[in-house]
Amino acid sequence: MTIGRIILVAARDLRAERGQPDGLIAAVTFTAVLILLESLVVGPLTARQPAIAAALFWIAMSFAAILAAARSFDRDLEDDAIDAVLVLPGGRDALFAGKALALAATVAVVAAVGGALSLVLLSLDVSLPLHLALVTLLGVFALPPVIVLDIVLALRLRARAALVPILALPVLVPQLVAASNGTAAALTGDATGALAWSGLLLAFGILYAVLGLALGPAAID
Amino acid sequence: MNSTAGLRGATVVLDDRPILRAFDLEITPGVTVVRGPNGAGKTTLLRALAGLVPLAAGTREVPEASLFIGQRPQLLRGLSARDNLRFLAAFRGVPKDGVGPALAVWGLDARTAARPVETLSAGQRRRAALARIDVERGDLVLLDEPFGDLDEDGGAHLLRAIRVLAGERRRIVIATHGRPQLDDFANEVVRLA
Repeated sequence: MTIGRIILVAARDLRAERGQPDGLIAAVTFTAVLILLESLVVGPLTARQPAIAAALFWIAMSFAAILAAARSFDRDLEDDAIDAVLVLPGGRDALFAGKALALAATVAVVAAVGGALSLVLLSLDVSLPLHLALVTLLGVFALPPVIVLDIVLALRLRARAALVPILALPVLVPQLVAASNGTAAALTGDATGALAWSGLLLAFGILYAVLGLALGPAAID
Repeated sequence: MNSTAGLRGATVVLDDRPILRAFDLEITPGVTVVRGPNGAGKTTLLRALAGLVPLAAGTREVPEASLFIGQRPQLLRGLSARDNLRFLAAFRGVPKDGVGPALAVWGLDARTAARPVETLSAGQRRRAALARIDVERGDLVLLDEPFGDLDEDGGAHLLRAIRVLAGERRRIVIATHGRPQLDDFANEVVRLA
């Protein structure tokens, strides 16, 4: 497996998403609606509490990432486009890692839009913007390995749409806890807390990326 | 290409149903035609050779530069035919500048080749898929019902392309119901029951 081939697969996915942006649109729309609903349902005073705003943002991100990843694999299964990649030497490894990389880029866009919406709609004050950016970036990169692995495990099953959230969300709980707490810490000015949770997010991201690379290609069979 | 290619004692089980049992096939340079009724396992045999279905028993030996073109065109929607083929060429490390001429030879001009594949007709998508033969230059070429969706001209062009590949001593395995004339220049006709 080479970095070049992973980047090729990621670029192919992102170009296809640009050509048919239904995954990105679904993810952004879902995130925006969820943030808007939150402020309406619990009221603006409760909704703008850092812990609640952060938790809801990351729950929205995890579902948005599942939506975008599912659409990406659906597109590959239409016309059996995935077979052309799987037959290539090193195709399985590159497919898993490339899909995860492309998903991270897509989720980064969703996070940027969702984050901006949260800040505006909930009138959030950000005490440590650089720390917030760091936590968000690490949170975004910690999600894809788990989600792509779970989609690969359920790839040929009819119940894929229902199974993937059931498989992925329990495994994502540690990442969601770390990302939510890190975000809340960055919003409230707790630099030490934000950095500590960032370190944990980095560790989760590396752990699941290694696990995904070890299990994902074989799971495609 | 002197390396061997084929299956030895291959068993493939799908949904608890054995499709191939202890199946042996040695693929020699030239054309091998696979025939059989619906459900006989032609597609499974080609997918097993391509490494797309796991073997429950037996071994598979194929060259690294193997190309499998299935019954569906294997082109990613959202991308043009040109970009699909450029991606596959780049992944294999073969020149990407052969993509445009290959698509043109198969009847897709530059404008058509630049359109998203979902806007092409079934026949145009099939032609774009078959242009991979010229771009990727596989030592083993596996074609599953390649004449489907092709008009007379396209079918004739494919027959010529197969003859050229056979002349280059490449291994070509074709699973098909039709085109009995293929049997005339095939090394072997494998009949699945």
